[in-house]
Amino acid sequence: MLPLIVLLVTIKGLLMALTRRQFLTLMGGSAGAAVFFQACGVPEKELFIDSPIEMPEDLVTGLDNWYATTFKEGMSSQGIIVRIMEGRAKKVEGNTDHPLNRGTHSSSAESMLQLLYHPDRIDAPLLRTGQRGSGEYKEISWEEAIDRLSSQFTSLEQSGEQDKAVLVTDPVNGHLGMVVKKFVSATGIRHMTYEVLEHTTLIKAMDEVFGQDNIPDFDIDNASLVLSFGADFLSTWVSPTRYSRGYGEFRQGHEHRGKLIHIDSRFSTTAANADEWVYVNPGTEGVLALSIMKSIVDSGQVSQDVIEALFDGNSSLLDLYKPELIASFVGVSESKIKEIGDLFVKSEHPIALGGGTAGAYTNGLQNLKAIYSLNHLKGNVGHKGGLVFTPNSPIEGLETTNTNSASEFKSLIDNISTGEIKLLLLKDADLYYGLPDSFGFKEALFDIPFIVSFSNMKDDTASIADLILPQNTLFEDWGTDVPLAGPGYQSVAFQQPVVRPFFESRGDNLGTKSFPDVLMTLSQVLNKNLDLSGDTFLDVLKDGARQLFDLKRGTIQASSFQEFWMTLLARGVWCDVNEKSINNSYVGKVETVPEAKFEGDGRFNLVPFASAAFYDGRYAFAPWMQAMPDPISTATWQTWIEINHKIADELNIKEGDVIEVRSSNGGVITALAMPNPATPPNILGIPVGQGHRDGGRYAAGRGSNVLSILGTNFDDKTGALAWASNKVNITPTGEWIRVPKFENSVPDFPRDEHQQIVEISTGNNNHVGH
Amino acid sequence: MVTELHNHPQWGMVVDVDRCTGCNGCVVACQSENNIPINLEEHFNQRRAIQWIRIERYWEGEFPDVKARFIPILCQHCGNAPCEPVCPVYATYHNDEGMNVQVYNRCIGTRFCANGCPYHVRFFNFWEPEWPESLKNQLNPDVTVRSRGIMEKCSFCVQRIQRSTRESERDSVELKDGDRGLNPACVNACPTNALMFGDWNDSESAISQIKEKESYPGGRAYGLLENMGTSPNVIYLKKVDESVGSSNGH
Amino acid sequence: MIPGDFRTPKPNKNQLIKMAFAGLIGLIVFSGIVVALTFVLSSWLGQPIIFGNEGPDQPIAFPHNVHADQLGMDCTFCHRTVEKEAAASVPATGLCMTCHSDVGDGLEEIAKMRSLYDDDRSIQWVRVHRVPDHVHFVHEAHIRYFTAEEGIESSQVCSKCHGDVKNMEKVKQVEPLKMGQCVDCHKQNNAPTDCATCHY
Repeated sequence: MLPLIVLLVTIKGLLMALTRRQFLTLMGGSAGAAVFFQACGVPEKELFIDSPIEMPEDLVTGLDNWYATTFKEGMSSQGIIVRIMEGRAKKVEGNTDHPLNRGTHSSSAESMLQLLYHPDRIDAPLLRTGQRGSGEYKEISWEEAIDRLSSQFTSLEQSGEQDKAVLVTDPVNGHLGMVVKKFVSATGIRHMTYEVLEHTTLIKAMDEVFGQDNIPDFDIDNASLVLSFGADFLSTWVSPTRYSRGYGEFRQGHEHRGKLIHIDSRFSTTAANADEWVYVNPGTEGVLALSIMKSIVDSGQVSQDVIEALFDGNSSLLDLYKPELIASFVGVSESKIKEIGDLFVKSEHPIALGGGTAGAYTNGLQNLKAIYSLNHLKGNVGHKGGLVFTPNSPIEGLETTNTNSASEFKSLIDNISTGEIKLLLLKDADLYYGLPDSFGFKEALFDIPFIVSFSNMKDDTASIADLILPQNTLFEDWGTDVPLAGPGYQSVAFQQPVVRPFFESRGDNLGTKSFPDVLMTLSQVLNKNLDLSGDTFLDVLKDGARQLFDLKRGTIQASSFQEFWMTLLARGVWCDVNEKSINNSYVGKVETVPEAKFEGDGRFNLVPFASAAFYDGRYAFAPWMQAMPDPISTATWQTWIEINHKIADELNIKEGDVIEVRSSNGGVITALAMPNPATPPNILGIPVGQGHRDGGRYAAGRGSNVLSILGTNFDDKTGALAWASNKVNITPTGEWIRVPKFENSVPDFPRDEHQQIVEISTGNNNHVGH
Repeated sequence: MVTELHNHPQWGMVVDVDRCTGCNGCVVACQSENNIPINLEEHFNQRRAIQWIRIERYWEGEFPDVKARFIPILCQHCGNAPCEPVCPVYATYHNDEGMNVQVYNRCIGTRFCANGCPYHVRFFNFWEPEWPESLKNQLNPDVTVRSRGIMEKCSFCVQRIQRSTRESERDSVELKDGDRGLNPACVNACPTNALMFGDWNDSESAISQIKEKESYPGGRAYGLLENMGTSPNVIYLKKVDESVGSSNGH
Repeated sequence: MIPGDFRTPKPNKNQLIKMAFAGLIGLIVFSGIVVALTFVLSSWLGQPIIFGNEGPDQPIAFPHNVHADQLGMDCTFCHRTVEKEAAASVPATGLCMTCHSDVGDGLEEIAKMRSLYDDDRSIQWVRVHRVPDHVHFVHEAHIRYFTAEEGIESSQVCSKCHGDVKNMEKVKQVEPLKMGQCVDCHKQNNAPTDCATCHY
């Protein structure tokens, strides 16, 4: 309509030789008329009401229902409830019944909504048509896809080469773990578990120090002192939502405010929240821990029993770690070491915990062992305000996979290069992204004849796969969860579909499917008996629920199984707070800590850190997470380098300068400099999470992947990737990009050094608000 | 008039800065609940990103004596709001329940209100919000999607207040303090429980009790920029730092 | 006054063509304005001002007069959530089929509906009453108020805004349903006139 009016007025104008002023007046008036027309326009689809066919009680416009499910996150999980309106997931909130998060939830849980409705989700099995990595695929049916996959298996079996097939998954537990384990043993293929930022060293430390096979629940809520080495537990380490909940109580939940001392070579979010951040030289955390231990032992407040258990009666090995001897080595003053030791021993409920950078050197395991042994000095294992391990789950047959170390993956890649791997299956294991370039996976993958990925968002590894079988997102799937970092008593969380599969309308032969169901179907096609109690994954789950029902204890008990099952799904989790029987008597011996070895002789120690927004890169697809400001730098959408502001001045580097970071193995990435006053002068902090090859429109080609430049350095004992052991050099490129950050979007609040506030007394009117 | 006001709940919040870890969980929860446009890189670069609740990080000192402080800032729903009298079309006003209401359909986008807000919690839609078609499935039908040219800000999730009060009246069930259907999205999300929501008029509510407990000289309660006379409905509890001088510690 | 003052020179050919053209354009513009005004006025009133208001054609010509008047069915039998939720809700085809799986053989509209039901396809009703997106209207609160206040049945409240639907063969909008009407009724009934009641 508008162009017509413009045309008419123009013609009129030409004919009557209007002055410019008259012309503009007429145009303005006509534009006004145009607004009327546009404003009256309502999108056609809003003029229709589709009536439902049957009468689902919850498909009424405006009616909301909340369904419980579980969001699995690495070693931990969060119980969530999802608001469903007209069959669509609108909001995630925490499930108050879940023992770990108790009604709170993290931004990563919220971002799962954007995974469910992501515009770049894969909606059918894809078969590669172009070159590997070209991104050219064509859609095929599930029938054909299973066919192709099973023929791969069959041909391998015929030549007796089943072990030349490898299934790599993320850490799986519960019934999914059970199905994976049974599938692997029935077909004879290999199985490996991959974590980009692995916890193998931490779990080994738990085994050697406490004799346990899981990560304890740190009862921060009731602790009086938390001594944390390197573990950014308030932001990204293991179970940040649960620890944050504990931290809230720790601070203001009871009369005695707890004290948090964070020891780290980088100023992390936990360091920012700590009462005290103690800088420690990279790789020396274990030495520092032993020195603190020495100071504590010397105070004479440790019982002889403990000395006996820890040192076989003779603590002389600690003489090497006298504070005065190692102070300059660790970069912490003698008085500070003694002060910390003093605080620890006098504290009623202290917790010592370590992870993150502390475990990411070649001496990582020894560091962590020294750190965790501090807990034995106060005997806080299994007690309130201490470390509480979780007993095994009551359901039989549940399996939790153990993460394979990076060195095992290096061996796998070596095997690939010699042509020993014929088939690679990947589920939520982004090897292409997570393994450093120096491992050689990016080249070796061309020696694998067939790669299959179960990714639903085309992670980097899927983008080079030959066959993509998209799996359901968590909101569309069944499952059980028994996390490795449990709540300290028996619990089994259930995951149920809260929406119909988003691509259901594509039919049975297209769309997404549940990964365990695909494995079970595949095994039927291959004529393998998985020895499971049902034909579908849901049947297997129900069987597990039946075992819980038969226990007749815990938070959910019912008279019939149907009632139990309904209540279980409504509540989302079954637990038994009384079931915490576990043997806490083991005390691992204290050992010396060797020096950490670093690669390269660059000026800076590179500390790649799990970013609050993306963790290890897995949430980069979500625009909410891309736009979430990092707590320390407030940067978004890009990869930045934390560098000390004085050093930056010295090197003439300002915020936004595009810097090249070079590691000694030839790896180079570029990122934007963000000088800050907290980064130690010898440290360079770069967040993990960007630099994806694909991952949807919000993640593809954005930022840099700092993991790619790491070297093949492993923990001496566990073979885990020693990701903090690189020394790098930087070169400004001369370019500058404005860093998209939230800071300075609004002026700072004026800060009054004298904290002048209006006197508030209970006498006069002190209404706030009126 | 005053007695009438006492019949209505006066909604307010308590923010415990000592508990806040700066995780930004509240920020994302708010964006999910309130159909906030996706903040793209250009939006941050132009300093026009919209975050109804934000975490501000302040540096103190430098390495090795350095601290970073986090504080969540949201609309204070001021009793004496500088944003209310300046709107030429009365698109923002103070309602009987103590909240500063933004009426989207009246707003003509003069941005005078944002000009006056000392907390900088008002945001203008400089661009038409866009979502890819499939992401629109996530939008909350209880919240109006604002188009270009409209001011928006934290509403204490008024849609939740309306829904909860209506449903409690319909079902004749009393609405209890701390009801999770009533709480704003940020309050429910916060992992450390640093945010609390409630009714100032209810002396038994959690927030009233905290205010009672911490409002004494040397206590932790304070209002943000309260010496400006805005009468905020949000009380902040100071962070405790034992290493700082005794003038403001416990 | 001078002789020849009001004598306009006879237009020459060029000028004639120009004037004719301008006249034609003027006519088009004028009719355009008339159309626009009709559009705007109709929009303002909430119903068409020319062509009469007979209500939109629906995919299945459901007669309310047959069901609500002749058969005496209650409004809430089909519009079930009006006493509980914000939306009154259009009933599922399954509800229709509770009777019409047997009743109505031979009627074309019933046949249409049955075939849609059998194909698992929903009926795309054309919306008659619509308030803008920025208005959150809640049926339940209004039903609750009037049934308590006037001691009437829920279905007797419906006609206050929807008119005499019982006697409509084709549903049409009879009330403008503009904000003025809402606020007037709220003021009369001491209901909240706080903006945040509906606009959030």
